[in-house]
Amino acid sequence: MTDTTDPTDGDAERERVSVPSKVELPRLLDFYELQTEDQTQIHEFYDNLRDGRLTTTQCCDCDEIHFPPRIVCPECTGDDLEYVDLPDEGELFAFSEVRDGLPLGLSEHDVPYVVAVVDLGPVRLSGWIDNAAYSDLEIGDAVSLKIVEIDGPTDEERVFYRFEPADGDAK
Amino acid sequence: MTATRNVAIVGGGQTNWGERDATWKDLAQEGGKATFDAVPAIGPENVEGLFVGAVQPERFANQTHVAPLVAELLGIEVTEMTARTELACASGQAALRYAWLAIAAGQLDTALVLGVEKMNLGREYMPEMQSSMSNVLDREFDGVNGLAAPPFFAWYAQRHMHEHGTTREQLSLVAAKNKSNAAKTDFAQFRSAIEPDEVTESPEIAPPLHLYDCSGITDGASGVILMSEEKAREVTDTAAWITGSGQSSMAGNSINNLPSFSGWPQARKASQNAYEQAGIEDPLGEIDIAEIHDCFSISEVIEYEELGFCERGEGGQFIEDGRSRLDGDIAVNPRGGLLGCGHPLGATGVSQALEVTQQFKGEVSRNRQVDDPTTGLIHNLSGSGSVHSVMTLARDPQ
Repeated sequence: MTDTTDPTDGDAERERVSVPSKVELPRLLDFYELQTEDQTQIHEFYDNLRDGRLTTTQCCDCDEIHFPPRIVCPECTGDDLEYVDLPDEGELFAFSEVRDGLPLGLSEHDVPYVVAVVDLGPVRLSGWIDNAAYSDLEIGDAVSLKIVEIDGPTDEERVFYRFEPADGDAK
Repeated sequence: MTATRNVAIVGGGQTNWGERDATWKDLAQEGGKATFDAVPAIGPENVEGLFVGAVQPERFANQTHVAPLVAELLGIEVTEMTARTELACASGQAALRYAWLAIAAGQLDTALVLGVEKMNLGREYMPEMQSSMSNVLDREFDGVNGLAAPPFFAWYAQRHMHEHGTTREQLSLVAAKNKSNAAKTDFAQFRSAIEPDEVTESPEIAPPLHLYDCSGITDGASGVILMSEEKAREVTDTAAWITGSGQSSMAGNSINNLPSFSGWPQARKASQNAYEQAGIEDPLGEIDIAEIHDCFSISEVIEYEELGFCERGEGGQFIEDGRSRLDGDIAVNPRGGLLGCGHPLGATGVSQALEVTQQFKGEVSRNRQVDDPTTGLIHNLSGSGSVHSVMTLARDPQ
């Protein structure tokens, strides 16, 4: 900061130094990863998801199924992995409802929303449960996969998975 | 590991905790001064090792490389070892553990362990704070679902109720006990005793958890001085001697890889390791004070079980029977826990160790003194509960 006037004279006009009043949301604060081959080595997971398939990696050496998808098998350190399909229906293992306090980067979304542990059989994962309220749901309810497109601060087409009550379970 | 030298926590001090009109650096200075003031024989010139527990100064205060900053602020010329520890909510205990190992190994004789966290950025910036908290999980697959801590621990409450019949009332008893203990703790963020009914009258944050089931968002700093036996004997007659330290993760951090949603086998393993080192065979019978990680009311219920105070599934009955009260079989969270004191992440484990030390010395600030305690324990979980850390303390060295 520079100041050409007498610093002890509060009435004198001082030079002003500016910082931007608004900062563009840095990509860092966006919760969704960049998904293409030039950004991530698990791009195939996202490519499959874009094609409507929820997949994950399985180790060709020890048969371990991972989630999240990996590039090195944590079971045997092998790196010969292949993508396998996961079921697109599962059961609610545990769930709660976020009423407030969304993180920056997600704070545009409506609250409340349900977030759950979904048991797909081979793996369990966390996910949003759309089209349902906490009071509608019970442990063991069937949920099915849905895929959403993500708009955001990058031009890249991005997708992510969510779940919703399976047909017949929607109240 | 068998420690080669006895190590003592000789004393310490802390700032007031809460929503503080203070910066990260202010808190570090206040906490350092409170620590040195409480241990008059030790000044900055005596400190050979500095260990700073801090979780997210990069996000909360836009500051990294914080250990050298603390050294400068407190006038410490570190001659042997300086480090900042980050293990999410267990960062304070991680700093204690590093200092203990450095002294036990003979690298140094006197260390300052200081935990500092500045979390309140102003109410309008709460989404930014929550964003930082979501980074504690695997951001790409779990944080992305808006998983800050409350819904995550709500799952554990739901599953524990589902599998073991734990009741909503039992969770409320934990919160009421700890908040009422904190009413006797001068530095605590929440100093009002509450009745169990008030817990479910507070806003529902993430069902089945209400506001009073949750620890606070807290600014604060806590410090302790650790010394080798030879040096400790020169400055005090009563100290907390570190008798065991255990830690366990099970190669699981993401939702798919956690071993349980109603228990923490990692806590069982970590405590068994610590008990073995300390020669504790009957934790409920031998431990007088347990400062354990009640980030949410359900956490304490599960920890009664995993730390071996009762059988798995009986944690709810344990609180209902009053066994964890100040005058019960084991005083659990006499300080008021995270529910009452708040949870300035990096400071919490340090403050827990300080409480045990002050209890041994008979120096707790008001009427929460446990009758003649000789054995204590601190416990922290971190992140998705993926890691559990346990340290045992004794009034008399082994």
